[in-house]
Amino acid sequence: MERNRLLLLAAAAAAAIVAVVVIVVVAGGGSSTTQPTTTQTTRGGGTEATRTFAGVAQHGATLGKASAPATMYVFEDPQCPYCRQWNIDTLPTVVDNYVRAGRVKLVYRGIQIIGANSIVGISAIYAAGLQGKAWQMAEALYERQGAENSGWITLGVVRQAAGEIHANVAKLVKDMKSDAVLTEMRASAGQAQSLGVQGTPTFGIQKPLGTIEQLQISSLDPSGFTPALDAALS
Amino acid sequence: MRLRAAIAVACAIGIGIAAYLTYVHFAHVAPVCTTGGCEKVQKSKYAELAGVPVALLGLVAYVVLLALAFVRGINAAFAGVVVAFVGVAFSGYLLWAQLGPIGAICQWCLGNDLTIAVVAALYVVRMLSESDTPA
Repeated sequence: MERNRLLLLAAAAAAAIVAVVVIVVVAGGGSSTTQPTTTQTTRGGGTEATRTFAGVAQHGATLGKASAPATMYVFEDPQCPYCRQWNIDTLPTVVDNYVRAGRVKLVYRGIQIIGANSIVGISAIYAAGLQGKAWQMAEALYERQGAENSGWITLGVVRQAAGEIHANVAKLVKDMKSDAVLTEMRASAGQAQSLGVQGTPTFGIQKPLGTIEQLQISSLDPSGFTPALDAALS
Repeated sequence: MRLRAAIAVACAIGIGIAAYLTYVHFAHVAPVCTTGGCEKVQKSKYAELAGVPVALLGLVAYVVLLALAFVRGINAAFAGVVVAFVGVAFSGYLLWAQLGPIGAICQWCLGNDLTIAVVAALYVVRMLSESDTPA
C-alpha cells in the first residue's frame, strides 16, 4: 500500500512536469506579450523609432501639430518597464492614428518614480527635446532599458542613444544640466503632483479650455488603450 | 488535522502573495520591491500565459489547494499533490526565466516558490499519512 502511494506520487510528479511543458509550449510561454522582446531585438539602430516619428513635428517635449485640439500628457519614467511596453506596443499606433491625423498632440512628461537614476534619463530626454528629438531619445533609452535601479542609465548609454538618434551628442550632454531642462523637469514633477500621478505610465488628456484629466485605460496595448482615448476625445 | 491546518496556513500565505501580484498586474502599479527587478519580471512576457496573468493562475491554484485542505480522504490528498506539483513545476520554470532570459529577480516570486514548495511537501506528507477511506 505504501508502495502504491509512492508510485502515485512519482506518477503525479511526472504528470506535473509533462503538463507544465505542454502548457508552456502550447501557450508559447506568454506569447501574448512576446512583442516587446522581439520588437526590441529588431529595433537596433533606431530605425523603428525613426519610422514612428518620421515627418511628425516636434517642439521641445511636444510631438504633433500645435493646432491639434487635444493634448495628451504622457507621464513616464525611463526605468519603468510598463512605459517601455507602452512605447513599443502602443505609441506607434497612437502616432499613426491620432497624432499624424492632427487629432491630438503628445507632451512627454518625465518623472522620477523608480529611482534616482531615472533623473539622468529624464534630463537626457528633455535635453534631446531642445534638438527636437525628445521622443526619439525616450525610445532609444527604452531600447537599452536594464534592471530597475541598477544604474544602467550612464552617460555612456546616453551618448550612445544620442548618437543613434543623430542628435548633437556633446550639446545634448551639456544641456542635461541647463536651466531649460531643469525647468521642464520641475514643471513635469509639479504637473504630476497636481494630477495625482501615482505610477507610470499615466496619461492625462486636456481638451480645449478644459483641465487635464487622467485617462482611464483597461490595458497598455492598443486594444485597451485606443478605446479609452477615443472616449476621452469624443 | 494539524497537517491540514498547516497546509491551510501555507495556502493562505500563497493566496496573499498571488493576490497582491494579481492586483499589481491589473492596476498597472509597481510592486513593492527590495530586489530591484520586480517590475521588470512582472512586465516580462513570462508574466502571462496565453494572455492570463500567471499571478492569477497562481491565485486560483492556491484557492483550490486551500479548499482541498478542508476535505478529508486520500482522494483530496492526491488531488492536492497533483495541483501542488504542477505549481512547483511551473514555479521552477518561472525561476529559470528570472535567472535566465529576464535577468531580474522578483522577491514576491521567490516567496511564492518557497510557499508552493512547502505546500507540495505538506501534501506529500498528507498523502502518505492519510487513511484510505474518507472519515
